[in-house]
Amino acid sequence: MAFNYDEYLRTNKMPTLWCWGCGDGVILKSFIRAVDKLGISKDDICVVSGIGCSGRFSSYVDMNTVHTTHGRTVAFATGIKLANPDKTVVCVAGDGDALAIGGNHTIHGCRRNIDITLIVIQNFIYGLTNSQTSPTTPRGFWTVSQKVGNVDPTFDGCKLAEAAGASFVARENVTAPKKLEKVLREAIAHKGFSYVEALSNCHINLGRKNKMQSAMENLDWIDSITLPKKKWEALPEEERINYLPTGILKQDKEALEYCEAYQMVKDAHQGKRGKITPDDFKKKI
Amino acid sequence: MALMKAPENTPVWVNTSRCKACDICVDACPAGVLSMKPEASSVLGAMISVVAEEACIGCNECELSCPDFAIYVADKSEYKFAKLTDSAKKRREAIIENNYRLPEDWKEQ
Repeated sequence: MAFNYDEYLRTNKMPTLWCWGCGDGVILKSFIRAVDKLGISKDDICVVSGIGCSGRFSSYVDMNTVHTTHGRTVAFATGIKLANPDKTVVCVAGDGDALAIGGNHTIHGCRRNIDITLIVIQNFIYGLTNSQTSPTTPRGFWTVSQKVGNVDPTFDGCKLAEAAGASFVARENVTAPKKLEKVLREAIAHKGFSYVEALSNCHINLGRKNKMQSAMENLDWIDSITLPKKKWEALPEEERINYLPTGILKQDKEALEYCEAYQMVKDAHQGKRGKITPDDFKKKI
Repeated sequence: MALMKAPENTPVWVNTSRCKACDICVDACPAGVLSMKPEASSVLGAMISVVAEEACIGCNECELSCPDFAIYVADKSEYKFAKLTDSAKKRREAIIENNYRLPEDWKEQ
């Protein structure tokens, strides 16, 4: 017996259009295993993706899928979730999709704490359009739009999501597919906005002029800049900036989920309850 | 759970219509079970092949790290996997040094 991924794939679209060794495939695999372990039916889950290499994600999974406009994954998913509060909604976006053009939607998805899982495939570059600087490109890296070296400061998506109010924030690495699967499992099961940043390789567009031409070199580099959360916390303050912590960075099970909050609006309109007051949101002690 | 039937007496098998020859599985295998072989019809001129299936330790690393759904490993309850040996480690090193291909004059030690 072996795990049959084909049950969750549109096999007529195989092999994938992604480049050889692309981390997106590993993330797709981990996602399929996570869904399978959680025992969610294919009919009860909706995968929403935007534009970019990550946009292909929704083409390959044999679930309910929506391929939306650039950066608007969270906006579309919010509508889908509010209309179907009992279904599972998963968004997949790249770093450019979720943090650059769709940054605003990501922030407000986090703020509302709606029960969506957002998987951000972070490959440090705009891969599909051939190596332009993305908000997460490290300083000093060669890109097509900054050929002498990138000078823009980098963005930490996890810190952004934490600050914006997401109740589950995690970061994992494609070199650890088992851990990635576990994190995705917990993120999908979590009630509230789950932000999962999956660090991925793009040796074709990030690596080709940054001395990481093969997938292994790029994966080794990702390994060298990440540390498990506990080890990262043990580091002195000035060294922490050189590494990205991995694992579950925030989990708040108490936060009010948006679909539950919106039920109050529905009830108020249907005359089942009175008007909503600030007292409704005060935490019970 | 989604399961598929494994071919009889096979620890690891590949789907060559999906493999893109990225070398990740060869790098991930600790026992030198996998290697690339020349293949003119493939985009990168190489294709995955199982060169020493008797050495497979069943760690699943190749299956987990394959981005193209091309590798499958049998379940531990159905196949008796080998233990990691020194000769397997040496074969792995030789394969990686030789650009992820098993050297033509390779002799088991």
